[in-house]
Amino acid sequence: MIDTSIILQAVIDGAGVGLIYGLVGIGYCVIYNATGIVNFAQGVFVMLGGMLTYTLLTSLGLPMIVAVAIAIPLVGVVGVVIEWFIVKPMLVRNSPMFAIILATLAVQIMIERITIMTAGDQPRTFHEFTAGGPLRLGPVAVGYQLIWVLVCSVGLVLLLTLFFKYTRIGNAVRACAQNRDAAALLGIPVARMLAVSFALSAALGAIAGILITPSQYTAFNVGVPFGVSGFIAAIVGGFGSASGAFVGGIVLGVAQAVAIIIFGAGYKTVAALAVLLLVLLLFPSGLLGKRSEK
Amino acid sequence: MTLLSVSNLTKSFGGIVANDSVSFDLNEGDIYAVIGPNGAGKTTLFNLISGVLRPTSGSVQYAGRDITGLAQADIAALGVVRTYQLVQLFRQRTVEENVQIGFHLATRGGVGAALFRPGWVRRQERMVREKSRELLRLVGLESQAGLVADKLPYGQQRLLKIARAMAAGPKLLMLDEPAAGLDTQETSVLGDVIQRINDQGITIVLIEHDMNLVMRMATRITVLDFGKKIAEGTPVEVKVNPAVLAAYLGEAELE
Amino acid sequence: MTLRSTISAKPQVWATALAIAVAVALLAYVFGRGGYVVTVMGFAVIYGVFVTGLNLFMGYAGQASFGQNAFAALGGYGTAVLCADYGLEPIVALVLSATLSAVIALIVGYPTLRLRGHYLAMATFALGLITYELSIEQSGLTRGFMGFSGIPPLGLGRFQLLSERAQLAVFILIMLLGVWVARRLRGSRFGRALLAIGESEPAANALGIQVFRYKLVAFVIAAVYASVAGSMFAHFVGYISPEVFGLSMVTLSFTMLYVGGIGTLWGPIAGAVLVSFLPQLLRGFRDMQDIIYCLALIVILIFVPKGLASLWSLAVRRSDVPAER
Ligand SMILES: Nc1ncnc2c1ncn2[C@@H]1O[C@H](COP(=O)(O)OP(=O)(O)O)[C@@H](O)[C@H]1O
Ligand SMILES: [Mg+2]
Repeated sequence: MIDTSIILQAVIDGAGVGLIYGLVGIGYCVIYNATGIVNFAQGVFVMLGGMLTYTLLTSLGLPMIVAVAIAIPLVGVVGVVIEWFIVKPMLVRNSPMFAIILATLAVQIMIERITIMTAGDQPRTFHEFTAGGPLRLGPVAVGYQLIWVLVCSVGLVLLLTLFFKYTRIGNAVRACAQNRDAAALLGIPVARMLAVSFALSAALGAIAGILITPSQYTAFNVGVPFGVSGFIAAIVGGFGSASGAFVGGIVLGVAQAVAIIIFGAGYKTVAALAVLLLVLLLFPSGLLGKRSEK
Repeated sequence: MTLLSVSNLTKSFGGIVANDSVSFDLNEGDIYAVIGPNGAGKTTLFNLISGVLRPTSGSVQYAGRDITGLAQADIAALGVVRTYQLVQLFRQRTVEENVQIGFHLATRGGVGAALFRPGWVRRQERMVREKSRELLRLVGLESQAGLVADKLPYGQQRLLKIARAMAAGPKLLMLDEPAAGLDTQETSVLGDVIQRINDQGITIVLIEHDMNLVMRMATRITVLDFGKKIAEGTPVEVKVNPAVLAAYLGEAELE
Repeated sequence: MTLRSTISAKPQVWATALAIAVAVALLAYVFGRGGYVVTVMGFAVIYGVFVTGLNLFMGYAGQASFGQNAFAALGGYGTAVLCADYGLEPIVALVLSATLSAVIALIVGYPTLRLRGHYLAMATFALGLITYELSIEQSGLTRGFMGFSGIPPLGLGRFQLLSERAQLAVFILIMLLGVWVARRLRGSRFGRALLAIGESEPAANALGIQVFRYKLVAFVIAAVYASVAGSMFAHFVGYISPEVFGLSMVTLSFTMLYVGGIGTLWGPIAGAVLVSFLPQLLRGFRDMQDIIYCLALIVILIFVPKGLASLWSLAVRRSDVPAER
């Protein structure tokens, strides 16, 4: 019989990873809402966030805060480049949905290979933001990094909500989401708004990658698992709301953590796919979704 | 003989009553027209008969059998086939392929039949080829058989839709605004095609705004307005009906 | 009418003759020269089988699967384990693995194919990741990331295809069988229904085509093709590893599909051959291979989404347009 405290610990840690999935999931939604496409390269932003920060920390010896402040906008620029050179030309040509998905997937592989060539194929990690810990709460331990994850996630969701509600750019992106043609008629520079959504989404992914690296590791190939889990989190949460993505992420993170204890590490993605298939069977529009599926 | 009998058919969408206790009978061999202003509930009526929507109340009898609330595919299999206002052709497929795809319900066979092609499958395929040619001839498109459907002019695309629907082997063919957007020349070709189909013994229900066409072709007409049947009769009777004139006031189409 | 069809048949005949001549010349060269060219051709043929199946699902039914590599992995590891560890006949192992792939395709396809687009895309993508992770993790069965070696070549009973040439010859027959099946399906009621679904689901539905069921069957068939390709690979190389069936298999196969022409019968095969031989010309760029593939794929997707097939139809269709228009 497995000890209950082990299970409890797994639930706590799983929930922490789930918040990361939530962040990645929101990244998908931001792009999907603005462009109607699913960016399969989403996971690569997570990888780049971790890798770039690692490189800035070790090779340039920068302090954490500076490294992070450079890494996040850099990844945002990568997002804009993808939008500019691949997504936009395909949207203009009315390419079918799966051709666009495929192109983003190809970008993902290209970035992975470039990462191997420049930074090697070894896993990397860096120290937690705050030394010390963990906090002991009865039988379970809560690492300081987990608290960082929680605080940053909540903070980001608040910021995003404010951004979309109260800023001009945020409103413009939302207008594009509702109807691109109408938005263009209103004089909104639609193309620029698509770029904004990619930048935003890439930055979210980078932050997720930076937050998770101290408690796990980063390597050229962590993008795909995070991308898949993030997308599943977004679907489970109903593919639309930020809070939905977090709920979906937490459900997924916990399910994976428990599956790892029971079946072994190889079953992480099996658990994720099982959650996805079950949710699609039982709640076709997600746990918290209102919209009917597309 | 009565082929289709609609009684007290009602459908409401929330507050809107799109069909309000509509009743009418149509006989085998009729060309029956349903007319009325936009939003009168004509398409809804078609959706109820063909099983796309379930009625709130009322019933549909077809060939002496209650078909109310049956699934779309089952109703089509009984011989009630319709064209849709909005459903498209397979634009990248050839004209002939479009009709051949239309034979889906009238034929059988899956993967096994495709691979091993037993005698019955070969005969069926030959039948599909011959009959599609025949249908293309019926609508006057046989010389365009190999053309990609997208390349057809608008009027001929409409004829192709009808040929595709005919492939399902209808006894009752329901056409939703077949002449919409066609010019006089194209409309007159369409009228001839409908007449030829009817001559083959196929009963037709037609939603149409083109009054010339309706008056020329219809054996009987039902007029809907705000979901209610306000008149029924022969073209001549309907034309002079004051309620109809009132409903169409300002549309001047009846003249 | 007859006159016009004979005239327009001409370029078709010439183009076909040319294509056959190129194929024969290529085969003569490959079998005559031997050595690594046979190996490259073997990969091309294996991928030919793989993409012919994928083409049924994507090119005809218009659906997207990003996890066909999962089924190839199932076929590969199924064959490896059953032949090397349990001493089963290759053909039995191949059929058993393909059956397992079909069952898994059903389980994944059933909940996802009802929904459109990205859900299936992501579920299949996840499936690819799962088989990758499991093939590393379940090292008792798969020998983990070090890979599985010592897989016997294709054979039947005591008779084994020891030379690569002999295996290649049999592979070509298997591929031709695969193309023949695709052709039969394409020209049938089943195939017409798939084409209809690929173009317009509402229209297909209105004609009484059970869209969901047909998609599911097409998905299962594509999985069987992928699985057979995986089994072939295991026999041909004698060694497989998780990397072999990794993510780059997905983009590589899509590149072939798009280079050759998605939705055509022979295009995917032509694409498989071309894309397999191309890197032999760019030998210097070893490390850059995946990058070049991906870049090429992106460029094709943006600028020539119909691939080589668009050149073909240019050659064939020129005089096919009726004179009166
Ligand atoms: N699926 C539906 N949901 C809600 N309202 C509908 C639906 N279909 C039709 N209606 C409404 O029912 C009324 C009749 O529509 P319709 O049958 O399409 O009219 P017609 O074909 O005569 O122009 C309209 O007010 C329309 O808005
Ligand atoms: Mg209407």
